[in-house]
Amino acid sequence: MISFNLSNRLIFIFSLIGLGVASFLFYEYSLSGPIFCPTGAGCDIVRASAYTKILGISIPLLGMAYYLTMAVLSVVHSHQLPHKLVRKLQTISASAAVGFGMYLTYLEAYVIEAYCFWCVLSFIISVAILITLVLSRDKRKDENRD
Amino acid sequence: MKTETKILGAILVLTAVILFGGIFFLSKFSANSSSVEEKIVQIDYSKGQKIGSDSAKVKLVEFSDFQCPACAQAEPFVKQLKSVYPDQVQLIYRHFPLPQHPFGKQAANWAEAAGAQGKFWEMHSKLFETQAEWSNLPDNEVDEFFLGLVKQLELDENKIKQDVEGNTFKSRIDDDVAEGQRLGVDSTPTFYINGRKVILQTFNDLNTVVAEELKK
Repeated sequence: MISFNLSNRLIFIFSLIGLGVASFLFYEYSLSGPIFCPTGAGCDIVRASAYTKILGISIPLLGMAYYLTMAVLSVVHSHQLPHKLVRKLQTISASAAVGFGMYLTYLEAYVIEAYCFWCVLSFIISVAILITLVLSRDKRKDENRD
Repeated sequence: MKTETKILGAILVLTAVILFGGIFFLSKFSANSSSVEEKIVQIDYSKGQKIGSDSAKVKLVEFSDFQCPACAQAEPFVKQLKSVYPDQVQLIYRHFPLPQHPFGKQAANWAEAAGAQGKFWEMHSKLFETQAEWSNLPDNEVDEFFLGLVKQLELDENKIKQDVEGNTFKSRIDDDVAEGQRLGVDSTPTFYINGRKVILQTFNDLNTVVAEELKK
């Protein structure tokens, strides 16, 4: 369990890292050359697949929007901790992101059969954000019980 | 407003400006940075698989690997050149299977074997179209997969099997690799237009580079 203050800062840091990763992927997806991928050619294979867009929107762009939203919510949240509506928005966004990330990871594992290092990293960051949120929520419940 | 809110807000704005500004700048820069090197290198044009006339004004040599995802991405743009400039451009395919691609050389062999029956380019397209399907197959299933492609092209299966098993085209593929190494090719796809190396930022620029060469 972690305090709201610390969890908010952690979420802010994770969101900035995620924003960096998603921005890098967005830039690379707009080019045709090979993607810098520490785990081999997986990133190129994933980019060449039919699963880089959803409803015509580039998936890295969705990632950028998500992490930017989470970072903005953290800034807003830092003004008044804990804020019920902001917490709710953060939890809904983080859960949706993890759910969507699970779907994308499933596609990588069983449909595309290749892993993009940056996509997996982004998924791990989104999971870290959700865990941080859940842990801080538990702490609040404990405080209420006391 | 709390000090922490101000600090986090400032960090966020700064990060967003750096990232979005960087993407915008790099995209702008990339869009205009495809170029052709000045230095003209000697390429043996008698070798390689060709499409287009020997007297074409532009000779575009591609060093490529059937298992390379970027080469598969380049394929539609190369195909487009074939249809837009059938008489003005000669495309020459040279094999450059990279060591990190375990089936690159094998695929090159199958393509050459299909070429011996007049269907190199058809096999070339099939191999790129199905790249994601065969790239991760177990070693013992890849030849079976390639045989399936051969069947689709209605080629003489026995002759192809013989050629592949006998490594009939090994020296041809090795010659391509040796020439690529001599030229300093270190990634695929690498293009040379009339002997000058093309530095591409996007494959879409291939069309521009060819159009500019044709204007000369």
